[in-house]
Amino acid sequence: MTRVKRSAAAALVLLLGGIGHVGAASVPEKDAAAHAAASAYSPQGADTCLGCHASNPGVMAIFHTKHARPGDPRGPFGHGGLQCEACHGPGGAHVDAMGDTSKIIAFGPKSHSTVQQQNANCLGCHQSNAAHDWASGAHAAGDVACTSCHQLHTAKDPVQTAAGQIEICAGCHQAEHADLDKLSRHPLREGKMACTSCHSPHGSTAPAQLVRNTVNETCTSCHAEYRGPFLWEHQPVAEDCTNCHNPHGSVQPALLKLRPPFLCQTCHEGAGHPSMLNTPQGLAGGGAPSAFLLAGGCINCHSQIHGSNHPSGRAFMR
Amino acid sequence: MKLIRSNWLVLGVTAAFASSTAVADDPSSADTSDWKCTQCPFAQGYSGDAELGVLGASGANATFGRYTGIDHGGAYADAAASGQYRNDDGSYANYELDRLGLASRDGYVEGGREGRYDLRVSYDGQPNILYDTGATAYRANGSTLGLPAGWVSAGGTAGMSSLGTSLAPVTIESERRTVALLGRYFASPSWTVFGEFRRQEHDGTGLTGASFLTEAVQLAQPFDYVTNSLETGVAWAGRKASVRVSYLGSWFDDDYSSFTFANPYLPIVPGSTLGQLATPPGNTLQQLSATGNAQLPWRTTLTFTASVGTLKQNAAFLPVSALPGAQVPTPDSLDGDVHLSHYALGLASRPLSKLSLRGNATYDGHDDKTSPLTLPYVVTDTFPGGTALTPRYSEDRVRLDGGADYALAHWIKIGVGGKLDDIHYGPGQVVTWTQNAESWGRGTITPIAPLSITLKIGNALRKASSFDATALPPEENPLVREYDYAPRDRVFYTLTGAWTVTSTLTWSVEGSIAKDDYRSSPLGLQAVHEQRGSTNLTWTPRDTLSTYIEGGYERLFNLQSGYNGLDTTPWLAADAQRFWNLSAGGRWVPQQRWTLSLDYLLAPSYDNTDTTAGGLQQAFPQNWTKLDSTRLDLAYQWTPAMQIHFRYVRETYRSNDWALDGVGPSSVPNLLALGVQPFSDNVNLFALTVRYQFGRDGTTPQASK
Repeated sequence: MTRVKRSAAAALVLLLGGIGHVGAASVPEKDAAAHAAASAYSPQGADTCLGCHASNPGVMAIFHTKHARPGDPRGPFGHGGLQCEACHGPGGAHVDAMGDTSKIIAFGPKSHSTVQQQNANCLGCHQSNAAHDWASGAHAAGDVACTSCHQLHTAKDPVQTAAGQIEICAGCHQAEHADLDKLSRHPLREGKMACTSCHSPHGSTAPAQLVRNTVNETCTSCHAEYRGPFLWEHQPVAEDCTNCHNPHGSVQPALLKLRPPFLCQTCHEGAGHPSMLNTPQGLAGGGAPSAFLLAGGCINCHSQIHGSNHPSGRAFMR
Repeated sequence: MKLIRSNWLVLGVTAAFASSTAVADDPSSADTSDWKCTQCPFAQGYSGDAELGVLGASGANATFGRYTGIDHGGAYADAAASGQYRNDDGSYANYELDRLGLASRDGYVEGGREGRYDLRVSYDGQPNILYDTGATAYRANGSTLGLPAGWVSAGGTAGMSSLGTSLAPVTIESERRTVALLGRYFASPSWTVFGEFRRQEHDGTGLTGASFLTEAVQLAQPFDYVTNSLETGVAWAGRKASVRVSYLGSWFDDDYSSFTFANPYLPIVPGSTLGQLATPPGNTLQQLSATGNAQLPWRTTLTFTASVGTLKQNAAFLPVSALPGAQVPTPDSLDGDVHLSHYALGLASRPLSKLSLRGNATYDGHDDKTSPLTLPYVVTDTFPGGTALTPRYSEDRVRLDGGADYALAHWIKIGVGGKLDDIHYGPGQVVTWTQNAESWGRGTITPIAPLSITLKIGNALRKASSFDATALPPEENPLVREYDYAPRDRVFYTLTGAWTVTSTLTWSVEGSIAKDDYRSSPLGLQAVHEQRGSTNLTWTPRDTLSTYIEGGYERLFNLQSGYNGLDTTPWLAADAQRFWNLSAGGRWVPQQRWTLSLDYLLAPSYDNTDTTAGGLQQAFPQNWTKLDSTRLDLAYQWTPAMQIHFRYVRETYRSNDWALDGVGPSSVPNLLALGVQPFSDNVNLFALTVRYQFGRDGTTPQASK
């Protein structure tokens, strides 16, 4: 273990060293922000914009959202805020060009702006809060635009609702969406959970962008009864819930990857019944109905499989 | 990780963070002093809506009602409400209440003052009705499950002559109720103080099992869990950096510390008439975390997280058995103490417009500092088994992953990446380390602007230290490699495509293949193959009509082997799971007042298990499920303020499961089962509601300053 700790510390320090070097380099930035700063803002802010857009309900719906709160100094319409141009960039050229959308930052798949330019305007405010870990996440690496998931000019952003979120995430994560129609699953279809109950789409330092540091910390934030530490621990449980469970859904009961006893026998081949092959003879109509196979299978007896605090719980039977 | 190393890390992060904040802020050059926003229709006043109606269901049972709460035929109230209030001084309140007539009801009320503070109270009810087809001979009395007077014990279920008259229906169901209180105070545009208290109550009846040596029972076990958690902290956000420091405390408790059940069989040893199960012990998790980011030159972002915590439990032990005279062992509690740590550093950069780089280094420590105990134990409340040492499991895990993408031209982008996952296990485990090294490459081509295709190919090789089958009793066959420790070769391919065929027609496709080979393991898991494919087509010819069709297929194949002992060759078991889903639907607004939506879903699955032993091949009956669901929603806007909404849902769910089919309480000689049956339903659900909107539209032009 010492070797691991040492290598981990060395890796982190190397990374930090590299960062320090980069930080010291002070290379001039030629990014979209600099280009935008050189452009002119509109003369009257949102009043200029509404001169043309006031009749468009798709635009005006912004005034039903958090982005249009005059009392919020952190928002674009707060005191001194850049209003529409906080997100769309300086609009002077857009006005001068009679509404040419290539002259402002526009959002969506038909935009002239690159995904990076679009996201930069959102992250200008949100990288300090909701999108803390955006840069290191899979969505950033995949050039996903903020507006691929979020709708800003609507009273209620659909991705903020459980049902809307599932549909939006399913646009790319089709396999996980299909998992929701399997025999065992979490209650996402009923709107009692959302993808963000477990995952942080804006990035996280946990595997699979989980909301907690590890798989187990995420699962036990609701299933705290399995958190332990137990007197008798089951090693794969303490290590990672996904050793046995598929959290997105399974055609097996209890989100299991495989049905007992076969699941258990991927690890347990000790002398006696753990190693014995269970065949159809052990089924209800098979001539020799077997408690190793029917009802709960192994957990008919080893029911405390997540761990036991009973002094005699050595084999998770008490 | 030792303290000095932790400090070193924190110092490093702090130094990098400090240097990043030294990067000059870039104040806006815009002069907004004349921006009055006189035409802005900021929301003001109160508006809301309320929905009330009736919901009728026929054929509903636990299968349909598992998470909805609609678990029996009959009528239910269908009610919901929402509202918003906003004052010109920035104070506001919102509320949303949904499914008020059902156990799955939820809602929140929030309020505050813009930019100053906000408060939110929420409630979420979550039923979980698993089985309503079981029957039990046991009668619950608090934490004791007893058998009725006149119970006839026997050596097997067939001899329990009073079983038939003793059975009473039992439902395996529970309910999770979560109340949360969230508050935030915005001390300045840069500083936020936040706190959230959450209380989750989860109680009901679970399905568990227990045995008296070779004779088992399934039990409807009462439980009553409460988890309280508090997360609080402070966040600071600058233009080029931010940091968030927080504390998380979570306290779990079970009102039942144990439960006792009668032995329905003739005792194997005299006096073994009772069994006792320990319930999950109360535990406490506490964590301190700091997370943040910093914007560096060269369009580089640093993210970091440092988290340390402890997980403790010290619940009192039960006596070693329910046999008369059994004692509580010494020590009388575990004093369990696990130290958790998580450190992560990420760097993402776009030094060139065509090049993106990213790298993350993560350390996770699970250091179980609990002292191993040597305790006497009794086998299933039947006879003494000697003494045993309680193993403790610790692990250090380091993950390094990174990747780079480069745009060769506007129509082609390539990328490479890799991951190293290094786990070192604590003493006393069957392996001392595993290492998984993964590499991948991908390419994305965009031959025409609306068509994009990405192919990703990779492999991963997991190695492990030598395997010591004797390290953990009970001893395993030395030829088996446990699943999570087993050396493994993996190859994987992923293909995704998206095509905006026309402005109204889009098509996407996704496919993946992954093959895991465990063949260096003589016994245990040998191979896992996974194939998935899905596609989606949407057509939106006009604003008033949108349609979709999507389908998917998945096949998951497992091959494993074992050793019966008497045979000369290992047995094999192959399991193939297949799953399809097909859905289609659309939304149509034929007239201004009418809205119609229709969704159809068909999702069957099949699971086939075949075994081979001693040259004899045998197949289990096929397990299958079939979900067939149609949903129709029809809304009519009667007046500008009133909408009538009609909903019809038809769902059939059928399944076949050889573990449950035809298994009654006495089907197995040595298992007194609950006799729960596979999921099945055939439901028709109607809902008719009226939604009324009240209050004004709430948009009034005003000046922002």
